[in-house]
Amino acid sequence: MSDPAEIIISVRNLKTGYGEKVILQNINFQVRRGEVFVILGGSGCGKSTLLKNLIGLYAPMEGEIWIEGSNLVAADEDQRLLLFRKFGVMYQSGALFGSLTVLENVRLPLDELTALPGPLKELVALAKLKLVGLGAAAQKMPSELSGGMQMRAAIARAMALDPRILFLDEPSAGLDPVTSAGLDLLIKDLAHHFGITFVIVTHELASIYSIADRVIMLDSRTQTIIAEGQAAVLRDSAADPWVRRFFNREPDPVHSAKLN
Amino acid sequence: MIGNQNYEYFPFASRVKNAMTATAQNELETDVQIGADGCARVILRGRLDAQAVPACWNKLELDLRVAKLKTLEVDASGLRFCDGAGLALLRYLNMGSMTPHATVSVFGLEGGLDKIFRGFTSEDYEAFRPPSRIKCRSLPDEVGNWVRHVTSDLREQVAFLGDIATNLPPTIMDRKRMRWAEVFRIFELAGANAVPIVSLISVLVGLIIAFEAVEPLAKFGAQIYVVNMIGLVMVRELGPLLAAIMLAGRSGSAFAAEIGTMKVNEELNALETLGLDPVRFLVVQRIAAGILLTPLLTFYATFMGVLGGVLVTLGLGFPLTLIFHQLTSSVHLSDIALGAAKGVVFGAIVSAVGCLRGLQTQEGPSAVGISTTRAVVTSILLIVITDAVFSILFFVLKQ
Repeated sequence: MSDPAEIIISVRNLKTGYGEKVILQNINFQVRRGEVFVILGGSGCGKSTLLKNLIGLYAPMEGEIWIEGSNLVAADEDQRLLLFRKFGVMYQSGALFGSLTVLENVRLPLDELTALPGPLKELVALAKLKLVGLGAAAQKMPSELSGGMQMRAAIARAMALDPRILFLDEPSAGLDPVTSAGLDLLIKDLAHHFGITFVIVTHELASIYSIADRVIMLDSRTQTIIAEGQAAVLRDSAADPWVRRFFNREPDPVHSAKLN
Repeated sequence: MIGNQNYEYFPFASRVKNAMTATAQNELETDVQIGADGCARVILRGRLDAQAVPACWNKLELDLRVAKLKTLEVDASGLRFCDGAGLALLRYLNMGSMTPHATVSVFGLEGGLDKIFRGFTSEDYEAFRPPSRIKCRSLPDEVGNWVRHVTSDLREQVAFLGDIATNLPPTIMDRKRMRWAEVFRIFELAGANAVPIVSLISVLVGLIIAFEAVEPLAKFGAQIYVVNMIGLVMVRELGPLLAAIMLAGRSGSAFAAEIGTMKVNEELNALETLGLDPVRFLVVQRIAAGILLTPLLTFYATFMGVLGGVLVTLGLGFPLTLIFHQLTSSVHLSDIALGAAKGVVFGAIVSAVGCLRGLQTQEGPSAVGISTTRAVVTSILLIVITDAVFSILFFVLKQ
């Protein structure tokens, strides 16, 4: 087995934004193999932009993103394709293809990118669906699934090619606490039993406490990382009062003063 | 570690151009031993990943299918790495799919892998696999469904017509509710912005018809009557039709997409719970704009079409005064009135159908696309049917 402390993603001096407008700068962090790493921040702080940079959908202004030893930012087209095989992505709403059944959704990457014999593709896809608890829903259309089931199906599709990194964009957005807790359990299971590294963008506090090994917190005022570490530690002893408020769900004093 | 070009764990890398070439450590050894007593053993060593599985599959198919086996043992103790595709191969062998009459056992999988392997059994496969899809409905069933669909759609169209009829007059009377600014916005989008494309198409259609008509008429020395023909055809038929079809393609579809997207985003629900009727708030304005602008667009299309025909006859050497005389003697005020009346009706049809299809939008990602398609198809169908009704009526009235 590989060294558990091995660094699988390393972001160095990243600066990102749209057009002339800088959203984040001076971003540095590392993700270790097998850990659940959470990117946190208030609304509009650039979490989703950072995630788009990490998964190669949107190029940053400056900096380097090393994934498994290759720099995504400087990679040419072939290297990028190679890098895309190394991670799976689950988009915010699941992004399942509406015209395909759940099974066909999971089979799609296997059909397009591998030379496996047909029956084996089906077996792999069904095994992934069983893993996320959706075996019985294999023949359903995505529109027939509940929100939580769609997220699970999206995770199964992201795992179809056995990537070692999964990026999840707000996995618990719009889910009830029970479904959300079930998803958390699945993420923990996959991380611990299969050694999959998770990078998750979320601001669901309950989820963060239960799954995150480490978090970084982005801030729109300073445009950079203002806190890094374990969620429980940051809640109790972060230096920045804004970070403590975030973890303790306290309103901004300015807002509460206005109401009073 | 950073900078270390290690692709070892990525079985699918080989599908990518310029990927690392297979090295010794990426190889899989497949050893098949078949005994005379019908007992066989497959020994797998090395990496069983998606890259190695297809070749391994082929070898096993060749070796195992031919032999009549009683038992098959798969020894996986030599596997150094196994991914989802490898486990699927082991499960496939274990289910006996390759060796129909043999009892198959897989052993020697490393602890963690074994747990994952046992996590997906042949019972799971049987329970979850897709049923063989031969669903063919009988003809009466299909016909019945179609009739039911058409009649229910017809009922909805009639109900919608009633809805508009009850909402249109009171809303137009009420200046505050009518939102004239919205009407003018749509007027500009659907009317003024359509002028260039309507010009081009009408001139070209006029030109084409004139060219096609010139030759047969020349046989009778009646080339000058091209002008009469173009005048009548454009004013009575093609002007209104061209304008309406352009409106259906450009704006009917846009209405359906706008309102459909609003429905998908629950904006229509929001309107209703705010106490605002979507028909009064969104549909009436569009229909008013359609009714106002289509006659204008019709006149314009007619003018441009006639211009196209006139250009051809001018090119043939006829003087402009003669052409003008022919036009005025053949086209009467009643023809122009008919064209305008058609414009009003077609405008109402196109905008109403666009709005109705938008309001009928269902759930799902392709719903808005389906609505826009249906808007255009239904609009054009209704336009042609109405045009036929106009022709018959006019013919009967003239008798």
